[in-house]
Amino acid sequence: MSAYLQVSGLNKRFGGLQALRDCSFTVGQGRITCLVGPNGAGKTTIFNAITGFLVPDTGHVEFQGRSLDGQSPQQIVRHGIARTFQNLRLFADLTARDNVLAGMQDHVGEGPLGAIFRPFHTARALAGKRDAAMAVLAHVGLEDRADALVRNLSYGEQKLLCIARILATGAELLLLDEPTSGLSGAALTEVMALLRRLQSEGKTLLVVEHNTRVVQQIADDVLFLHHGHLLAHGSPAEIIADPKLAEIYFGGTL
Amino acid sequence: MDFLTTYIVLAEIYVLLGLSTNLLVGIVGIFSVSQAAVFGVGAYLTAFLLMHTALPFPVAVLLAAALCVGLNILVTLPSLRVSGDYFVVTSFGIQLLATAVFTNWTGGTGGANGLPGVPAPMILGHEFLEPTEFIALTTIGMGLGCLCFWLMMRAPFGALLRAIREDELAVAALGKSVLGAKVSAAALAGAFAGSAGGLYATFLSFVDPSSFDLDASIFLLTMVVVGGARTLAGSVLGPFVLLALPQILALIDIPTSIAAAARQLIYGLLLIVFMLFRPQGLLGEKL
Repeated sequence: MSAYLQVSGLNKRFGGLQALRDCSFTVGQGRITCLVGPNGAGKTTIFNAITGFLVPDTGHVEFQGRSLDGQSPQQIVRHGIARTFQNLRLFADLTARDNVLAGMQDHVGEGPLGAIFRPFHTARALAGKRDAAMAVLAHVGLEDRADALVRNLSYGEQKLLCIARILATGAELLLLDEPTSGLSGAALTEVMALLRRLQSEGKTLLVVEHNTRVVQQIADDVLFLHHGHLLAHGSPAEIIADPKLAEIYFGGTL
Repeated sequence: MDFLTTYIVLAEIYVLLGLSTNLLVGIVGIFSVSQAAVFGVGAYLTAFLLMHTALPFPVAVLLAAALCVGLNILVTLPSLRVSGDYFVVTSFGIQLLATAVFTNWTGGTGGANGLPGVPAPMILGHEFLEPTEFIALTTIGMGLGCLCFWLMMRAPFGALLRAIREDELAVAALGKSVLGAKVSAAALAGAFAGSAGGLYATFLSFVDPSSFDLDASIFLLTMVVVGGARTLAGSVLGPFVLLALPQILALIDIPTSIAAAARQLIYGLLLIVFMLFRPQGLLGEKL
């Protein structure tokens, strides 16, 4: 049986820095897999390689048995993989709803000719998309903030909106880059509950996460990355119990 | 009365240019300083076709617009490779190149002397000679331009362009074609500028390089800044306000030699004052 997502032998060198070193792992369908490791371990680089933002020097990525090698970010979204960014990259001058609309894969009215020559068709499609966007916002608990500009949202709301925006793409595999960083209290609980809910709805999550408490609570599998290489994988309990990994993670060197 | 009609006709032509510039600079964030060059190509081609072929006016303008669509896509393509400040420099180069061609290609453009005697538009046997007749053409042209702009901005296409201005990478990460959207916007901006050129050449019955130089491109940017970026209302208001300025100066009794310099001075001051104190222009959003 082939894995849901299979990453094999990724290597990437930036000048003198080996960002990824023969990095291989798999992600199981319907599971929450956390990618952990010290800063600079290559976690975001892996996201970039999977989503087509970066072409690895060598190595392959396969999703549901199909190769993603050489595909553009656009094509990869169509395969059902979408990602968030550590620095959010929301459209700050658009409303929350328009951010979600931007993620929808129904492309009616996204070209000028359709917009100009089929205005009624476009307007109907847009009305439908607005409703769908509202449903996505409601799903993450932001329906009351639909018409607010992103820059007027709280940081926690912006984090939720990032997830809403990629849910709108219809992706089945969600790559979340530090979805809980900078959050605490109720906002943290809310994001963690959302991640579990998404899992129960059948989504597969690959999550870059720094907070060991969050990892313990949400992860089914943990991948431990160090210097661009997969050092260990296992259950959260196994990884956290390993003193060698703790040493690396909390400031030691290897 | 003719004075007022001429003002309205010219302002309506410049509204098309305002839409063109606003689409690229305001909405997509491609900071082009060479829109006057595209405008010029539309004007010269229309003039040339009407003077040297038997093509009817609407066909000549359509051909000019079509050429400007292709041309504007070409001159905008560098924005896919170089962004922000770097594109401004590229665009500046394109404008200088165009001015050099307009001024020196005497066989095609008449060089510095320009092309005099562009025939008036003729549609269904009717010749639009007087400004009072011509105003029908420019009003229809402006109306169509505004309608297209309005339809695009309320469609998902408008939202996509705005999203691209904010973060191209994020747009790509959502599975959207940044290239396709930018090329479409450039094509439309080209069509607006090209048809404005056709109307301009036939209205004045004369084209020369001074209408399409770097100053003219900066004038177009001033219209967007003063009128207001990213809105239809701003694109319409800008040209009407800025073209009224010389008329107002003409009412004040100052020598014409000083009037030209005073105009440049006022345009420059307007740019600075608006950027500092009202970056959203009269009826727009912050650039």
